[in-house]
Amino acid sequence: MSKNKIVLAEDNSTLSLLLKFRLEKEGYELFMAVDGKEAIELIETHKPDLILTDIMMPFVSGLEVISHVRNELIIETPIIVFSSAGQEEMVLKAFSLGANDFMGKPFSPNELVIRVKRLLA
Amino acid sequence: MIDIQYFVDYYNDFPFLVKLVWIVSGLMFSAIILLTIYLKVIRYYLRKKDKEFTKFKNEYEALLVEYLYADIESEEFNKEQQAIILKIKDHILFKNKRKMIISILYNLMNEVSGEMADSIKTLYYKTGLIDYALTRLKNKNWYIIAKGIGELTRFTVADVHDDVIKFIKHPKREVRKETQLYLVSLYHFEGLSFLNELKEPLSEWDQVQLLEILQKLDDQEICDIRPWLRSTNDTVVLFALKLSQIYNQFEVKDSLMDLLSHQNKSIRIYVIEVLTHLYGIEAKDKLKANFNDLSIEEQISFFGLLEKLVIPSDEPFIEKHLFHKNFEIQLLALKILKSINIDKFMGLNNLPTHKKSPAMLKLEKIA
Repeated sequence: MSKNKIVLAEDNSTLSLLLKFRLEKEGYELFMAVDGKEAIELIETHKPDLILTDIMMPFVSGLEVISHVRNELIIETPIIVFSSAGQEEMVLKAFSLGANDFMGKPFSPNELVIRVKRLLA
Repeated sequence: MIDIQYFVDYYNDFPFLVKLVWIVSGLMFSAIILLTIYLKVIRYYLRKKDKEFTKFKNEYEALLVEYLYADIESEEFNKEQQAIILKIKDHILFKNKRKMIISILYNLMNEVSGEMADSIKTLYYKTGLIDYALTRLKNKNWYIIAKGIGELTRFTVADVHDDVIKFIKHPKREVRKETQLYLVSLYHFEGLSFLNELKEPLSEWDQVQLLEILQKLDDQEICDIRPWLRSTNDTVVLFALKLSQIYNQFEVKDSLMDLLSHQNKSIRIYVIEVLTHLYGIEAKDKLKANFNDLSIEEQISFFGLLEKLVIPSDEPFIEKHLFHKNFEIQLLALKILKSINIDKFMGLNNLPTHKKSPAMLKLEKIA
């Protein structure tokens, strides 16, 4: 059985590495992007089963990534967004653009794994 | 040799100004060459430093992730984790590496919660990084002390309270501010007890930062703010007023009423705003009685209160001020009158133009 593919867009390299390690341990194949631009390229190339994206990223934001996936690529891939405190407005925008779930930072990687599993079930 | 002699003679024959131009040109040319070399060296050095930084960062990030996932279920440190701790202990002897490790730990601590955040904190203790922060508190430079307190706040080190609290009256504002943030971040509303004895002003920015921390707390049960409303420090009173407004402190209305006669005008104005927010209907009679003694700003603020808490019996007072000298009050009086007696408000339209107030004319124009 082929592994489920996940694109992770996060500009904090330590958090990216931590989540990569954790999700790979759970049997997922991870593709890492440090900004939204890279994330879009990875999504177009690898057609992932799930997208994890931070909202605030350099060059292209998480909101633009969601908009691109839903309006340009027109695909229904589940998207989980990460947001920091004070970004409640952004989270609402993310949902209206088509995000499926969100996690407020700081979050527990274990909880993220549960949400990923639920969306990929 | 002949050629050089020829050029020297040729140069010597030049007029003074031409000689000067040659000298300046020569100097500038040399400066450009030297600066170009200098820039090249700097760029090489910065690139090298950047490469080293990325290399170490990747190395430490990998180490940290390895440490965090080594055996998360076990309470004891395993051999792998102990080796990582020892390795980091060696590296933190160098200032730049120590700085980098702290920034990696802090960046991650901001992003993860639960047992992982606890593990990061444990690593901060076990590697001895905390000792460096504590050493900073003993430094004679105020900015080092402030940085040390800031670090202890970020890593939520609560057990050094006694070492930090002694800086609450430090002569430097930045040190005091960091100490206040430490107390509130770690001890929440209880940490605000420093306000009891605060003599120095608490700036607007300090207040915003403290409120930001308080509003992020899960436990929003506020302590008794009455002593701060009675403080002799006006900025503490203003901060307490903000707290009473944000946390809907209906039980402090009596203290707020007392503040209506405070000597500081900003406090008096703000109290009216807070009372408006808390439906302080009791303030109306007192303010009405002293209305003419109030400053224009207080009068406007009071009309703001009336706009929200007006009742029909306030009509004569409102009517009396339809022609107040202040345009804003005229406008507010008209708005209030419209809300309680629309017929009387409409009747004002029948007044001849020369008898209308500027606010009435303005409203007529808009309509």
